[in-house]
Amino acid sequence: MRRLAQAISVGLRRSVPMALAIAIGALMLVDFFFDEPHINALGSFFVESVVIVVAFAMLLGLVNVLVVHFRRIWKREEGWYYSIALVSIALIVVIAGIPGADSRVVTWIFDNVQFPLQAATFSLLAFFVATAAYRGLRLRSWESVAFVVTAVVVLVGQVPVGRYVSDLLPQIKDWILNVPSTAGMRGIIIGVALGTIATGVRVLTGFDRPYSGEEDSTR
Amino acid sequence: MDFLAAVFRDLGIGQSQALMFALLLPFFPLLLITNRRIRERGRPQLRSIPGYHAVQEYLGRAAESGRRVHVSMGTGGIGTSVTAESLAGLTVLEHIAAHALATGLEPVVTVSDPSLLPVAQDVVQKACVSQGYPEGHDPACVRFISSDKVAYAAGVGDILGHGQVAANVMVGSFGDEFLLMSEVGARNGLVQVVGTTSPQILPFMYASADQTLIGEEIFAAGAYLLGKTSHLASLVTQDWLRTAIIFTIVVGILVRSLA
Repeated sequence: MRRLAQAISVGLRRSVPMALAIAIGALMLVDFFFDEPHINALGSFFVESVVIVVAFAMLLGLVNVLVVHFRRIWKREEGWYYSIALVSIALIVVIAGIPGADSRVVTWIFDNVQFPLQAATFSLLAFFVATAAYRGLRLRSWESVAFVVTAVVVLVGQVPVGRYVSDLLPQIKDWILNVPSTAGMRGIIIGVALGTIATGVRVLTGFDRPYSGEEDSTR
Repeated sequence: MDFLAAVFRDLGIGQSQALMFALLLPFFPLLLITNRRIRERGRPQLRSIPGYHAVQEYLGRAAESGRRVHVSMGTGGIGTSVTAESLAGLTVLEHIAAHALATGLEPVVTVSDPSLLPVAQDVVQKACVSQGYPEGHDPACVRFISSDKVAYAAGVGDILGHGQVAANVMVGSFGDEFLLMSEVGARNGLVQVVGTTSPQILPFMYASADQTLIGEEIFAAGAYLLGKTSHLASLVTQDWLRTAIIFTIVVGILVRSLA
């Protein structure tokens, strides 16, 4: 009896999430392809439900951040004092946000702390691009030789001085951008589209079950 | 052709939807057929992808150094337009978690979208169970950093820059913030395998990482790293459909040119 109950429990744990995923996935597909008001309304309902699920996931994220940093403070791990700052500020923002997400304190924090910090961090990108370019321009293999040659031709062809070097350079640059580069990008996009469809079809047919917590049956 | 167009119009199916339908419809039977064929005849021969070889090699190196591996599944999440990329990152995590845990070192996993947090925790926990020590699982090894991309990059940069990890694997959807992370890794001498589908980010990846998985290669993780039959079958199906698309393009060019 106990074995039977266990078998039913395992079966339900596997099949219920799979059946739900397949049914809702199929419904969303039908919603995408056909213009049927009832199905479209149901599809919109599920899309809106995602917002609620994401809100709960955000709550889980906050708990995770607090757990990770409380532990860091407790164990006095390297940089634990930064964790005190993080936890304090997180709690201040949460408390300040209780009256509403657009309260004066929250707006002030976002305008005067969050956005300037974002802008400052993102402005570092220019320097990172320079170091990445230097790293990329080292000759490591035949591929990197092609990378360097193409980069130099396009860079020199792009600036006015390129014309003084040779009249051909701007033309070669245009050809590189219009023919091999566009062809390569389109090839990547076609491959990515097929890969995305493959992933979706595997989930829809139940081959992949990233939601169930069970081992894949098709290994 | 006009008859088909009229049928689609009556059903409320637009031109782009009809094209998508034409791609999607053959995928289901072809996937089932190839899946069955692989089960009966064995695994097909796969071309070598250096990025996946490097993942195996770097896992070994990290184990030897006694340091952990950082895994990121990108700044996208589940239920977004880049769900497939995030799922590809989860497949890579599944492999890394199993191998890293075999050496007793849990990977450091960071997520930017909270929807990925419970799924990634589940993948690592499952790997712990399969390695035989479920009690050894530390839920905090999967960390939610921030849903803001710049803040996420800063948090990951901190992890990569303080000697906690020996290798960095980032597979998923990334934007410009990618460089803020990978350059920190490169400056600290970490071995890095990265992959994404965005053609705009791929040059950054190529320049700053040791190995790059280009475009659709990230979707092949299940076939190359885990050897799953369904993933091998979908890889074969993708190849068939790609051949069909190339054939259609060539025929289209010839018909247009000759007409």
